[in-house]
Amino acid sequence: MATGEEKPVMVVGVDESEQSTYALEWTLDRFFAPYAPNFPFKLIIVHAKPNAVSAVGLAGPGTAEVVPYVDADLKHTAVKVIEKAKALCLSKSVHGAMMEVFEGDARNILCEVVDKHHASLLVVGSHGYGAIKRAVLGSVSDYCAHHAHCSVMIVKKPKIKV
Amino acid sequence: METYVDAIGVDTEATTTTETTAKQNKKKLKVMVAMDESKNSFYALEWAVEHLRDVISAEPETDQAGGLLTLVHVHPTYLQYIYPSGGTASAMYAIDSVPESMKKAREESTTKLFTRSLEICRGKLVKTETMILEGDPKEMICQAVEQTHVDLLVVGSRGLGMIKRAFLGSVSDYCAQHAKCPILIVRPPRETSTSSSTKEHKSK
Repeated sequence: MATGEEKPVMVVGVDESEQSTYALEWTLDRFFAPYAPNFPFKLIIVHAKPNAVSAVGLAGPGTAEVVPYVDADLKHTAVKVIEKAKALCLSKSVHGAMMEVFEGDARNILCEVVDKHHASLLVVGSHGYGAIKRAVLGSVSDYCAHHAHCSVMIVKKPKIKV
Repeated sequence: METYVDAIGVDTEATTTTETTAKQNKKKLKVMVAMDESKNSFYALEWAVEHLRDVISAEPETDQAGGLLTLVHVHPTYLQYIYPSGGTASAMYAIDSVPESMKKAREESTTKLFTRSLEICRGKLVKTETMILEGDPKEMICQAVEQTHVDLLVVGSRGLGMIKRAFLGSVSDYCAQHAKCPILIVRPPRETSTSSSTKEHKSK
């Protein structure tokens, strides 16, 4: 029988957006929940907390006083994100998932986590930006699809067409 | 009616409600794999069959029906025909404006492609279907996804750099942005082999 060490590793990137919650839920539903307790993958959930200084820098020239508040807020968000992920896992009876939070740019962090754990699969949500928004805001899913050293699964929340 | 036998034979104390939802969720995935003649798409198919085995293959012990694996290949021309694999096919033809010899050559290469692909899928306990489309690969693949309502699209990736991608175009990029279902992009294995092959494991 397969021991825990032999399972391929799946890394799921989460942030506070709805799309990434949807992506995590979709993945849990299809790849984990039906197979309890013998999951086909080892699950690692990663949240990248943006660096406070870079976040303030993006908004414009801010003073140094704002940084602590921004930092506290970001930490708070990170905690919420992980709590939400934990709750989601529990509700699908998925145990043994590893949760990690890192600080910095999501793109690099996700790729590093993949390398560290020799993951076979990276799952990310997608904001579904159009071409211009992508060019301006950047797309983590795009970056990961081209730079991660493993296969990448991009899960999109289906848009409700009017 | 619930002849649901747990695969590992453990006597689970699950209530009937959780059992029924688990059974419903256990419906296997419908996966579509986009193929061309490149090495990367064969690698993508192998990778998918290997890693998605748990989510698409039938489990005879639990009487669980398998999912569906659709292999789609797009010709950049004007004909369209669909073959379900398994022999009893009725092919539909459209009027063709392509010279006979070209058509033959193309058919041969497609047959070879699918023969190889079906070899890879053999024995994996999943219903496999092949689909041949004509037209622009990126658009046709996205259309096929919409029409067949698959759960997951698998594509290989040539691993092109940014500039090449801008000039040569990238089907996987386009599909990642426009496909209506989740997409799995399988990267080619690294040449310097510290690759994440499942047979090779770093001991912790």
